[in-house]
Amino acid sequence: MHSHPPTHLLHRLGLALTLSAGLCLASTAWAANTNTESSIKSNLPLKYKDYNVVLVSFDAMQAKHVHALGYKKEITPTIDAMAKDGFNFTQAISVASWTVPASMSWFTGVYPSEHRLLNKFAVYNPPVEKIANLKELAPSIVTLAEILKSNGYATGGFTGDAGVNGVFGYKQGFDVYMDDVKFGDLEQSVPRALTWLQDKKDKKFFLFLHGYDSHGQCIPQEGLDRRFVDPAYKGKYTGAKSEQEALREEGLANGSIKLSDEDVAFWRAIYDEKINRADGRFKKFIDGMEKLGLKDKTLFVLTADHGTEVYEHKRFDHGFSLYDELIHIPLVIKLPERNLSGTITSQVSSIDVMPTILDLLDVPMPDNAKNQLRGVSLAPAMRGEAINQDAFSETDYRLYTFKRSIRTPDGWKFIYTMESKNKELYNLTADPNETKNLIAEESRRAYELEQKLFAHFKSIGHDLTKETWRTGLSPVYPSQAKGWKKK
Amino acid sequence: MRLTQSTKSVRIMAACLLATLWAGSHDALATVPEVPRYENTNVILISLQCLRPDHLGTYGYARKTSENIDALGKESIVFDNAISQANLTPVAQMSVLTSQYPRVNGMVSFEVNPGQVSENTLPSILKYYGYTTAATISSPEFFMRYDTGTGTVVNPGDVFSKSFDYYGRTRRGLGGRSIRKVPAEALQWLTENKDKKFFLWIASGLIHMPYAAAVPEPLRKMYDPAKYTPFWKHLPLPKSESAGSDDPSYEVFSRVFRNNFYLGFAPVYHLSADDINYVNARYDAGVYYTDRFVGEVMKLVDSLKLTQKTLVVLQSIHGEDLGEQGNFFHYDVTDTVIKNALMMRFPEGEFAGKRMKEQVQGIDIMPTVLNYLDIPAPHEAQGKSLLPFLKGEEKTAPNEFAYIDRLPWWEYTLSQWYLDFKNAQGDYFIASEKEKLTAYQKLLKERFDKLDAPPGDIAIRTNEWKLVLRKNKELLDEVSWWNFISGKKHQIDTIELYDLGKDPLEKVNVATAHPDIVSKLQGKLITWDTSVEQQKTIFKKESKHLIIPYP
Repeated sequence: MHSHPPTHLLHRLGLALTLSAGLCLASTAWAANTNTESSIKSNLPLKYKDYNVVLVSFDAMQAKHVHALGYKKEITPTIDAMAKDGFNFTQAISVASWTVPASMSWFTGVYPSEHRLLNKFAVYNPPVEKIANLKELAPSIVTLAEILKSNGYATGGFTGDAGVNGVFGYKQGFDVYMDDVKFGDLEQSVPRALTWLQDKKDKKFFLFLHGYDSHGQCIPQEGLDRRFVDPAYKGKYTGAKSEQEALREEGLANGSIKLSDEDVAFWRAIYDEKINRADGRFKKFIDGMEKLGLKDKTLFVLTADHGTEVYEHKRFDHGFSLYDELIHIPLVIKLPERNLSGTITSQVSSIDVMPTILDLLDVPMPDNAKNQLRGVSLAPAMRGEAINQDAFSETDYRLYTFKRSIRTPDGWKFIYTMESKNKELYNLTADPNETKNLIAEESRRAYELEQKLFAHFKSIGHDLTKETWRTGLSPVYPSQAKGWKKK
Repeated sequence: MRLTQSTKSVRIMAACLLATLWAGSHDALATVPEVPRYENTNVILISLQCLRPDHLGTYGYARKTSENIDALGKESIVFDNAISQANLTPVAQMSVLTSQYPRVNGMVSFEVNPGQVSENTLPSILKYYGYTTAATISSPEFFMRYDTGTGTVVNPGDVFSKSFDYYGRTRRGLGGRSIRKVPAEALQWLTENKDKKFFLWIASGLIHMPYAAAVPEPLRKMYDPAKYTPFWKHLPLPKSESAGSDDPSYEVFSRVFRNNFYLGFAPVYHLSADDINYVNARYDAGVYYTDRFVGEVMKLVDSLKLTQKTLVVLQSIHGEDLGEQGNFFHYDVTDTVIKNALMMRFPEGEFAGKRMKEQVQGIDIMPTVLNYLDIPAPHEAQGKSLLPFLKGEEKTAPNEFAYIDRLPWWEYTLSQWYLDFKNAQGDYFIASEKEKLTAYQKLLKERFDKLDAPPGDIAIRTNEWKLVLRKNKELLDEVSWWNFISGKKHQIDTIELYDLGKDPLEKVNVATAHPDIVSKLQGKLITWDTSVEQQKTIFKKESKHLIIPYP
């Protein structure tokens, strides 16, 4: 298989076809840098026909807070262990920076611009309010759950509601879809998932497990124990949802907020606690699967829909930018065999999750959706082959902003803000925090990446130059719609 | 087939340079990488104001005006139907440099300021690729600024000077002779910078009115009819500097409508064939002298051994009315005004001797140049590279339809500064005209102040038809310069359709005879207009204008 790349690979590898040779200069370095430490021989087929698959979304888990991805604190022992026993993708980039658009790309294999779940509302013009829905916005798209179901899989989704509520179309193809606990965490979804698995011993299944544990709008039922907070912290914050909401809104309204170093350390400690709790709850799930005797017949895909900002760019929360704290995500694929593992430093995208799962399970795309998938299977990367691809991300968060970005495998990111035509270029190697915009210094690179970015969107049917970009209001949280006035 | 990692890396690198990544054939990918052309190809863009293609030998002119341009044409691909995006220099040329229609790039009038137009221009993109960029210019439209606040000419650089490492301009000659000379500085710049990788823009305003004013004797009179005295010498003209000159000037010819010369709002003289011949003779002397300069440039390019590594593009910025319809200057969007000379000489002689009959647009020049240089066109570009068609890779030429903005109305330019500017220069009107002139200026200001952008008309052209739509006919009727100068209302049609095959001078409006063609072209034109309006750069009115003057 994959003796020559399929056409969809051209989207991310081969834009040079339509652009010029010059565009590639930036990309020549990476091929040599590719680093896939794989324990497996490259001729292994990596096919797991009729195995189970579990896709876990740790909502809003920033890659930088995962020990297996370099975080100094060991707050994610369960994830770290699976990353060690499986394939740890250290440069996984999400297609979007918030839940609604990002998560749907796992289930459709297409970019948010294509599945059209760009905001909570497809129309927000009170009294007309129309919730976005996949079937209505992109009726021809087939979902991962639908495909697996039609291939004999039992399909169950156990989620924390909100951004992955079934109403958006997330439940499409699922036999069972739990979305009745708003901003629910794994504490709530794990037991329900394990209950559903009770009778799946002799039936193959696809399980989507999701929790808002790390999210600003989720607080443990028993309250925060401030396990990582400096006891000497004297600031005014308590870690409450309302505080996070206020910080988010203030950042959006003013462009930035001002926090002291102590406050930032406090919030980071709170975030650590939430991630740590998520990891602990996930351990209960793994233990439960072990007890049910399912673990060794199951492929695990652990990831996050996006990260979150803890003041890295002087704001809070997520959705509004495309900096790495929001789009660099953990991605771990754990195969049933214990000895198949590796660290894959090649850049990959969340757009690749669906083709990878189908490839590993050896399930083909249905005839009516043969050309749907935009990503590539990561199985070749797991076999040790170099895959180095541009990663494209986008956000139309609340109609507050419209941003599109390209992140190159050799460490450059170009962000274009549609409504203002503002351009940003960052050298992620020298400036991983994306603080120095190099548009002027690297004008040619910026120019080429801009053309590549626009060519990408054009190639998926969205000519950005032909659309109008008017900011407005399309609330995600009810509080935002307060005082809404028709213009 | 699986490749080892290192083999694959090399393969990908080679593929990148070839721009044929994953073409499917491994053999193709093994070819030695080519060096992209932007590494070692210079570009010279020669832009000539008011140059009518049909006054060049290349395009069939009988008079020997252009032996050097003709020679260049033989080594080039020549475009027989190159259409300008507008009838006025800064508007038309910004479309060439940005590959965008005027309202999209923001260059919608003479008082647009730097910062109000699109930032990706041909020189700015070439600079990204390491080009040294220079301009040598004798078109004041590209470098002068008239400050309406102080009533003086200032020179703060210009919208066009952005991204040029060197921006050279001409100055008035001895005795105040025209600034519109040949930009001879180009020769010196080329000699001094021949070893750099460069983009040189040579823009000449010499052909512009006053015709041949900067052509030295005896060449200025080389085509003059024998024993002819300019008709205006016998008329009681205002005592401006132009009136006393032999040079056909705007001051004189802005008073000519349908070959009648108006003074005191009455036709006091009807132009004869001799008069028109004289004007053409002086115009042609300007073409001849410009051609000689082009010859010098090309000879220098050759002697500096740059020919094999320099892409030369020669273009008219727009054409000129020379009395065919009884008018002069470039007031409207007739083919005489918006049809350009255009030729491209490629370094290795690609397409030399070919002619492209299919219509091309000014906005196609930049994408074509970038395409040749292996540089991606900016996504904002609205024109298309012509290379795929020329190479036969595409079967259909990209421009069945060309779109033209008559923007802004000349009356708008008059109102914003031109009349004040001219009045400040000297007596431009006779005493009996001044009262009405004041009222006319007041009317223009009142009407245009109400608009949120400069007014314009739009046109669509195929090689067979042209349809012109007067977007605001009532207002145009009210403010028309011709109506003012002639003292009566002339009929203006909202829709004009011309059969360019039968009626190349666009004298007969056949709109009522061809409702089907009107309907089709009008539909296309409106669709285009709507999309341009959606993408347009918002025009910012500023109380104090810095204007590009027309000296």
